[in-house]
Amino acid sequence: MNIAWKEIKKNKVRFLILGSIVFLVSLLTFIISGLANGLSQDNAALIKDLPSGQFYMNEDADETYNLSRIDSSIQDELLNKQKDAVAFSIQMGFLNDSEDKQRSVAFVTSTHSKLFNNVKNGEIVLDRSLEDEGIKVGDTLTNNQYSGKFVVKGFVDQKKYSHAPVAYISMENYSEIYRVKEMQLVFIPGGDSSQEIAGLQSFSKKDFLNTIPSYSAEQMSLNMIVWFLVIISGLLFAIFFYMMNVQKIGLYGILKAIGVKTSTLFKMMWTQMVFITVIALAISITFSQVFNIIAPEGMPFSLTPETTIQLSVVFLIIGFIGATLSGVQIKKVEPLQAIQQGEV
Amino acid sequence: MALFTIDEVRKTFTNGEVKEEILKGINLSLREGEITALVGASGSGKSTLLTIAAGLQPATVGQVMFQGKNMTHMNSEQVRKIRASEFGFVFQFAHLVPFLTVEEQLLLMLDVSESKLKKHEQKKEVDKTLKLVGMEHRKNAYPSSLSGGEKQRVAVARAIIHKPKVLFADEPTASLDSKRSKDVMSLIRDLTKTLNITTLIVTHDEEMLAFADHVIKMSDGQVKP
Repeated sequence: MNIAWKEIKKNKVRFLILGSIVFLVSLLTFIISGLANGLSQDNAALIKDLPSGQFYMNEDADETYNLSRIDSSIQDELLNKQKDAVAFSIQMGFLNDSEDKQRSVAFVTSTHSKLFNNVKNGEIVLDRSLEDEGIKVGDTLTNNQYSGKFVVKGFVDQKKYSHAPVAYISMENYSEIYRVKEMQLVFIPGGDSSQEIAGLQSFSKKDFLNTIPSYSAEQMSLNMIVWFLVIISGLLFAIFFYMMNVQKIGLYGILKAIGVKTSTLFKMMWTQMVFITVIALAISITFSQVFNIIAPEGMPFSLTPETTIQLSVVFLIIGFIGATLSGVQIKKVEPLQAIQQGEV
Repeated sequence: MALFTIDEVRKTFTNGEVKEEILKGINLSLREGEITALVGASGSGKSTLLTIAAGLQPATVGQVMFQGKNMTHMNSEQVRKIRASEFGFVFQFAHLVPFLTVEEQLLLMLDVSESKLKKHEQKKEVDKTLKLVGMEHRKNAYPSSLSGGEKQRVAVARAIIHKPKVLFADEPTASLDSKRSKDVMSLIRDLTKTLNITTLIVTHDEEMLAFADHVIKMSDGQVKP
């Protein structure tokens, strides 16, 4: 007999309250996680969307890619040795449109590679967010450090860096704007950290993302909130089931006295915990996915199915741990005490 | 041969450095189809003796033999299995599960005793047992809607549904008025005779002794001659 379900049916309000709290906490967790992911994409989609591999910058750059200047001979040697390797540079800058409206962009240039958009001199390829702001293919844009004009050749999806849209330009145009011939970085797709190159410091993708100013601080704060919420939900389960178990100590004692196994009582509690969590998660997943669709254009929000599943599994595990910890009382219950306590 | 025997059972409780002997060498044997009543003043050790016999707490010294097996040598799981399948319990309060209907209380007991009956047979058995205790008309009621006497009748039904060999009843009428007390005791006596159960009952109510086949008086942890 499923006594767990019978109890839920008879005490709907009690379980509805717990379910509502789990729903609210998990919804908040999904929303903040979506914002963390969205901001992370907004900050570094250009890097995050690259395949896994190793990044190299000048050893003297003190882990600041802006200060890195890779010697052209080392760069040539690397690119000749690794056919799919690419050297690239990123610098924040401005573009002015025909109405002289200034827009902040991240200028990116690279050697020939499938991983980056390669453009000719005087051409520019922009992140699609600028198209949404009214810039069209064929428009001309200017930069006060560049003598010519950039003609917009096209747009690419989801290419952001440091919360600014990416603008791909040619190496020659880049060196005219920033008065520098050397590239800042070399990326070797599929490379591993064991590959050491004299004079260069190697970074995994995760390590390199952390060198981006504000990236790690921003992500740490948001992830801290997410994990706090997960822990809070675990505590909620522990406290709720603890209170329920305290109320049911007498009942557990009587059930033990008539021969019910302690494991059966634990199974009853786990069944209730899983039932409530699954329903609460299903509703909050639905709500967060609807929010994913209707979130305002400018809001950096991205909640992938993978993140949703990961967080849901974490919620189930933490709920299980919380409920089990509170269930220690069940193990301790002495049937004799319960019998002597009076009516349950 | 007695179904249930208690040999030289002693129980000592230790409170700090003070040791108190509650039972001082009790010998007892229970026979099938008979009600044995333990009577005595409060603190005489009668409830402690019943709970030791029922495997709810261990004896300090002595042995409890059930069907020729020494329960004092069994581990807690073996004792639990005996409690679930061979013993039935009626307590001072009915102690029914508040979120189960009368029918479900009895089905739960069949589950606990690992009954081999099929679902529909279990339901038939529940109906039969509820008829025995005169509660068949309340099988869909929850405990909160039952009177004290009705609750105790359901508790008796729960205690016998799995056809236990021994029924332990600890002050089963203490929370009932005189009329209901007699009803419940009469029910226990009828069931003991009909189902050939061995019943050990603890009571302080002299009136209830009329329902017992044997009366054992206890005083200061010993059986009074």
